Amino acid sequence: MSQSDLLHHYSQQFNQELEEIRTNVLAMGGLVEQQLEEALHALVSGDAGHGERVVANDYQVNALDVQIDERCTAILARRQPTASDLRLVLVVIKTTADLERIGDEAKRVARMAIRLGTADHSRGLFLEIEHLGTLVRGMLNKALDTYARMDVVAALEVAKEDQRIDREYENVMRQTITYMMEDPRSIPFVLDIIWSARALERIGDRCRNIAEYVIYFVMGKDVRHTNLDQIEAELIRR
Amino acid sequence: MRAGWSQEIWRLVGVLALSLLIGLMTGRVRDCLLVGLVVVLALNFYSLHQLLAWLGASEGLKPRDAPGVWGEIYHRVYLLQRRNRKRKRKLAKLLAQFQASAEAIPDAAVALGEGWDIRWFNEAATRLLGLRPGQDPGSSIRNLLRNPEFHAYLGAGQFDRSVEIGAPGSLGRRLSVRIIPFAGNQRLLLAQDVTDRYRLERIRRDFVANASHELRTPLTVIAGFIENMRHDGSAEARHWARPLALMEQQATRMQRIVEDLLLLSGLESGQAVTDTEEIDVGSLIDDIRDEAAAAAGPDAPSLVAEVTTETRLRGGSQYLRSAFTNLVMNAVQHTPAGAQIWIRWRLDADRGVFEVQDTGEGIPAEHLPRLTERFYRVDVARSRRRGGTGLGLAIVKHVLQNCDGHLEIESEVGVGSTFRCVFPATRLVFSANLDEDLEAAG
Repeated sequence: MSQSDLLHHYSQQFNQELEEIRTNVLAMGGLVEQQLEEALHALVSGDAGHGERVVANDYQVNALDVQIDERCTAILARRQPTASDLRLVLVVIKTTADLERIGDEAKRVARMAIRLGTADHSRGLFLEIEHLGTLVRGMLNKALDTYARMDVVAALEVAKEDQRIDREYENVMRQTITYMMEDPRSIPFVLDIIWSARALERIGDRCRNIAEYVIYFVMGKDVRHTNLDQIEAELIRR
Repeated sequence: MRAGWSQEIWRLVGVLALSLLIGLMTGRVRDCLLVGLVVVLALNFYSLHQLLAWLGASEGLKPRDAPGVWGEIYHRVYLLQRRNRKRKRKLAKLLAQFQASAEAIPDAAVALGEGWDIRWFNEAATRLLGLRPGQDPGSSIRNLLRNPEFHAYLGAGQFDRSVEIGAPGSLGRRLSVRIIPFAGNQRLLLAQDVTDRYRLERIRRDFVANASHELRTPLTVIAGFIENMRHDGSAEARHWARPLALMEQQATRMQRIVEDLLLLSGLESGQAVTDTEEIDVGSLIDDIRDEAAAAAGPDAPSLVAEVTTETRLRGGSQYLRSAFTNLVMNAVQHTPAGAQIWIRWRLDADRGVFEVQDTGEGIPAEHLPRLTERFYRVDVARSRRRGGTGLGLAIVKHVLQNCDGHLEIESEVGVGSTFRCVFPATRLVFSANLDEDLEAAG
């Protein structure tokens, strides 16, 4: 076997390894999506059984997190990647961390669902939170799609969507405050709702992070903590 | 010999004869012949050059004339090319037709390569799966369809069944997805929108559950009062004794039906899917046997338990108990006193088998496929008389489904019936002395 053959073979295997961790991250994303979906279902329909399943399944998300991190460490140590390969590995590590946190937030929502499920409450607030949840779920799905496609334009859209979720979150807050003022007895219940809404809002932030990693990977430019309009202008200039 | 060849040879002979003639005239025969041959060679080289230039033309080839055998070559190549072009056109048309028909399919179709990479998909796949033409071909389907159940389905590699998942991105839509392997390592993914069916199914299920639930309370009240009246002891009560007894009997039957319906709808909605409990089937069989013997009274057929393995079963104990009890009670009801019923728990290869064999009257073959339908009865009058709900085997079927198992029924009229619950190895917890177990199973 000649030298060039060997190199070619190695790099192909390397490519495969990189593609595999990317697929692993997306599989983890799929699991987190499902967790979030079930947690929301549990919260909105008051089905404690669903909530318990979410709490019980969180370990799977954590296990994937550890497993992907290990693989990334192995790649960094053995291949010493550079340029876009290095960026990919970094992005994978950061994304798994965010996904793991999203899984935790889903678990938190599920816990609230279990607590709220048994009691009989007015369902008005649930409608609000269902709307917020639908937005967040859509955003997570889109963030993972942009990650799968490494699509900068879509990533920018996802990052912008976070503002919508923040507005919706403020909406829920206002509503809950009126609830608490009307009937102080409802405060414990409303507090749980606030915690759930907060968890959902945090998920939105983490989806934005994931979208920003995609921009970082493709453009090689760290866009965290910067103005989105600037990035957009730069993207158009390219 | 073909015309081209004879022309070529005549030309060669002509040139040679001419150079020979000139050679004889000038006295330098050898040189002249050499010059003649060089001329022939040069002409052929020139023709070759022209042929290459002709073949290299980027546009379609046009027919061309040339002297001798070259003309023949041009002609043949031209024919060959024309035939190829025609075939290509035909194939392209066929392909376009095929693609158009694939586009017209309302179900999403995605052609997948060896590593699950997307090769091609139709318009419905864009709509149902959210794939984007121009962007997604080449990337792995696993990256875009991230549902864990779908990934598990791909990983398991058993493509004779389909998997139901939520549509990516759009909330509430359900898809039934199936992989069809073809042509070696290629695979076709078909996804069908089953939202409507799913929704209908759920409405039906909810309706049955709600209706049963609503019936439960009034029935309890009615049954309670009937019982009170029966045991009242007054003269009026004695006068109404027979109607009251019948009323109580029917009320109890209705209560049982409602309970069974609730159990069934619970089973259908997947609430009962549990694999955390490990059940000692041997002691469960002993319990059920005692219970059945007590319920049937003195003229019961004799019940024989044969437990040949200590393998435990993973599943919901409450549900499995009710399924097994149903099978045993059925056997007791259809077997005359003095005859025998065997209740067995054994291993068959690596599968667990719970079996109830009776020596009753048997079931005619035409009824067998429909036995597990709700309210299906072989002998309507008799079943009602005995207080059957008509739901027993439906419950058995659903319990087994939730445990990944299935029901096998064998029956011969006049000889008896065998009801067999078969569980896969994944649901079994083999005991320490597994080898002995397997030996016993043969």
